[in-house]
Amino acid sequence: MDKIIPKIGIIIWNQGGRLSQAINLDALVKKFTKAKNVACCEIVEELWTTAFFDSLKNSAENKQVDRFLWIGRFTPYQMKYIKGPLAAAGLNPYLHEWMDLEDQGICLKETEPEIRAAKAATLIQMAIARTRLLEPLEPMELPASDAILIIGAGIAGLHAAESLSALGKRVYLVEKESGVGGKVALLSRFYPRICDPHCGLEFTLQKLGESDHVEFHTLSKVQALSGSPGNFMATVIKTPRFVSETKCNACGECLAVCPKEIPGLYPVSDNLKAIHPPIPMPFPPAFAIEREHCPPECRECEKICPAKAVDLNQMPSEEQIPIGAVLITTGWDLYPLSAVEEYGYGRFDNIISNLEMEQLLSSHGRRLTHPAKLSLSDLKEVGFIQCAGSRDERHLPYCSSVCCSATLKQILYFKELVPDASCYVFYQHIRTSGFDEDLYRKARELGNVTFVRERPAKVEHDNHQGKLNITVLDPLLDKKIHLNLDLLVLAGGMCPSGGSKETAQILNLPQNQYQFFESHLQCHPEESQRTGIYVGGSCREPMNVSQSIDSSHRSAMQALKYLEGTVRIEPTYPVVNKTKCDQCKRCMEECPFSSFVFDEKGFPTPDLARCRQCGNCMGICPLAVISLNNNTIKQLAVQIEAVNASFMGKNEPVILALLCENDAHKAARAAVDQGLPVPPNAIVIKVSCAGSVNNAIVADALSLGIDGILIAGCKDDQCHYIKGSQLVQKRSGDLSDKLKTMMIEPERVRFVNLEIRDAHKYVDVLNTYIKDLKGMGPNPFKI
Amino acid sequence: MPPRVDKEKCDGCKAEEETLCEQVCPGDLMTLGENKKAYCRQPRDCWDCMSCTKICPVGAIETRMPYQLGYHGAKLIPMMGTDNITWTCVDIHGNVERFRYKNRVEPE
Repeated sequence: MDKIIPKIGIIIWNQGGRLSQAINLDALVKKFTKAKNVACCEIVEELWTTAFFDSLKNSAENKQVDRFLWIGRFTPYQMKYIKGPLAAAGLNPYLHEWMDLEDQGICLKETEPEIRAAKAATLIQMAIARTRLLEPLEPMELPASDAILIIGAGIAGLHAAESLSALGKRVYLVEKESGVGGKVALLSRFYPRICDPHCGLEFTLQKLGESDHVEFHTLSKVQALSGSPGNFMATVIKTPRFVSETKCNACGECLAVCPKEIPGLYPVSDNLKAIHPPIPMPFPPAFAIEREHCPPECRECEKICPAKAVDLNQMPSEEQIPIGAVLITTGWDLYPLSAVEEYGYGRFDNIISNLEMEQLLSSHGRRLTHPAKLSLSDLKEVGFIQCAGSRDERHLPYCSSVCCSATLKQILYFKELVPDASCYVFYQHIRTSGFDEDLYRKARELGNVTFVRERPAKVEHDNHQGKLNITVLDPLLDKKIHLNLDLLVLAGGMCPSGGSKETAQILNLPQNQYQFFESHLQCHPEESQRTGIYVGGSCREPMNVSQSIDSSHRSAMQALKYLEGTVRIEPTYPVVNKTKCDQCKRCMEECPFSSFVFDEKGFPTPDLARCRQCGNCMGICPLAVISLNNNTIKQLAVQIEAVNASFMGKNEPVILALLCENDAHKAARAAVDQGLPVPPNAIVIKVSCAGSVNNAIVADALSLGIDGILIAGCKDDQCHYIKGSQLVQKRSGDLSDKLKTMMIEPERVRFVNLEIRDAHKYVDVLNTYIKDLKGMGPNPFKI
Repeated sequence: MPPRVDKEKCDGCKAEEETLCEQVCPGDLMTLGENKKAYCRQPRDCWDCMSCTKICPVGAIETRMPYQLGYHGAKLIPMMGTDNITWTCVDIHGNVERFRYKNRVEPE
């Protein structure tokens, strides 16, 4: 390919005289018209005229100019408005460079005019150097699937599946249990309407059953996921059900002949037969056999089945499913209450978890198959202990957020069934946020519900009466109370389900300190930090039913972009220079989104669909051979080389400020806009993330005589790209240490945290730095 | 004088099979120890070429000044830029000399 000789058209937009009042634009035009690779340099007063645009189009069409450097303050909307017509005239929209002199404090009256003029000249020189290296780019479109894999067919997964299938997307629902419904199907009622969740679930299941787009994979697990967003391939393993899903019509004849009884889900649940309807919801309707419980050689169910659906020789099967995105709705588990030893769960009878209480409540009106089991109507005194495991440093440090409302709901429903029962709630704080307060109010108004603001000091079992003796200090009465209860319900906390933990491992997803899936909760709650893999529902944080349905929908909405048949890739992605890369794989290791893969020759290369283009790889690469297109290390290097470090005069230090475009740069801009006295010493370069600053760039700047390098980004835990700030702090710290051995003050490289509205802090940071640098004296490399 | 590895800083190139210093050493002298930190396994064979010092991404390697160039206390420290290298030479009297070279040239 022939080397393109750039022909830069420099347009200085005077913005109604704002720039010409501050600096002598004519002198700049005179200086740069003759500069290398500059085709023309002009000042424009009226930008938005047809005549001016026609002249631009003309020069682009005649190939007099092949790229533009725009000087002035342009809004994103204006940039779009400029790029559009010029693209129509054949100019690639990626061949524009924008430089705002005002951002750099050129119009601040406090600064001496000579300094402003010299600074403007060096800034334009830098921008020209950068513009020279722009390349024409084209966005890419990768083919993508229109199918999604939803892991976990609980209420969050089912609702998301329903909405996605209604949009015509193919949905594969993978569930490890024999039936769908998850934890919600185990509830007897849910709030706020205190209605039966099976009603809502059946309604959703009916729609899903009718849809042509939904495929259920029960008793299945995802074993592996390969490929990239838009084109994943999931390996799903199905354990045998031993009953044909197509043939079985759930007539139940097998139940009568099956000789083996097995315990239900909880001690309070009804017993099951080895062949039984799916759990928790009988959907898909086909029964399932738990073969490990079958007596040897027993074939009773096979013999009696009128539909010939039983197949006792079924083997596990494996299926490859092509999909565009993954939605994880693996939900929660109850915290193991036997770990909360002081309440005696598992040691004494009549102590149950809140989930078991749901089972008990839903047994009402049904014949109990097991006479020794608890019967609702016999319960006269029932206690509820809140925060069993939650908000406890020894167990779950967080609040599980739903247990208060859940207990109140249970009380309301229980009292409806057994009106003369007395209830006692032992709590730390009742947390019924929002409209849930209604439940609290109703429970208090019911009568015979006592709230004790302390959790029991002692729980003992009275073997004679079969009751529980509770001792608790009531802080309001300031005395010990002794109670004799029939049943104690522990409101256990929510922790990530076993399925969540397994999925995190298989898909290599980050988890937070509580083992829930990690995500940027305020800005991108749906994201799992792995592009194309989304999380919804209570596998992300404790949620109630409506919140988890909400969240799974948000995730589904985000996942849609990988289900559209194509995925559009901005061409400003990172490129690895393979002639210089020596495969150290540090980029693979440190990419916050794990988006690097090996190419066919063993070089790391970004998976473009996964990459978020933050540029951290560019900062990380020890050899500085990874660059974002049109934001290359080379471009930064020539920009720095073009700095004339003498613009401040002899005694004033010059600072190169590399600012994260998401916040630090915005803070710097706000400082100028608010008219704060921003010292002119800093030359600002906007970077995509503080983490994209390579140490080689900093070394360049130092060796060229720039006195101080300021790198600014978000606080560690606020970075949009997760760990950009952390990485750059570590690297600049390493460089500082090297400077020390070089007999150079380590403080010549400084990292600071700047938030988006830290305009005043930015000015303070600069002033302090200037003072410190003056103390150090000029950079020893300054010529 | 062989390279000295700062054990606090060395991160074993994040547990990759071959660390950068291992790849670059012309004498194949650098290797990872059991503690996942790099070290020079044959100090006597080191030529003081400083390749490892230059390439270390975390600046964990220091080459002491070879005796041909100066006595104890003198040091030579490279700092790698994008297309240049900056040397700082400190002699035994504490005099500092710095020089910068372009080490990567691209066709115009």
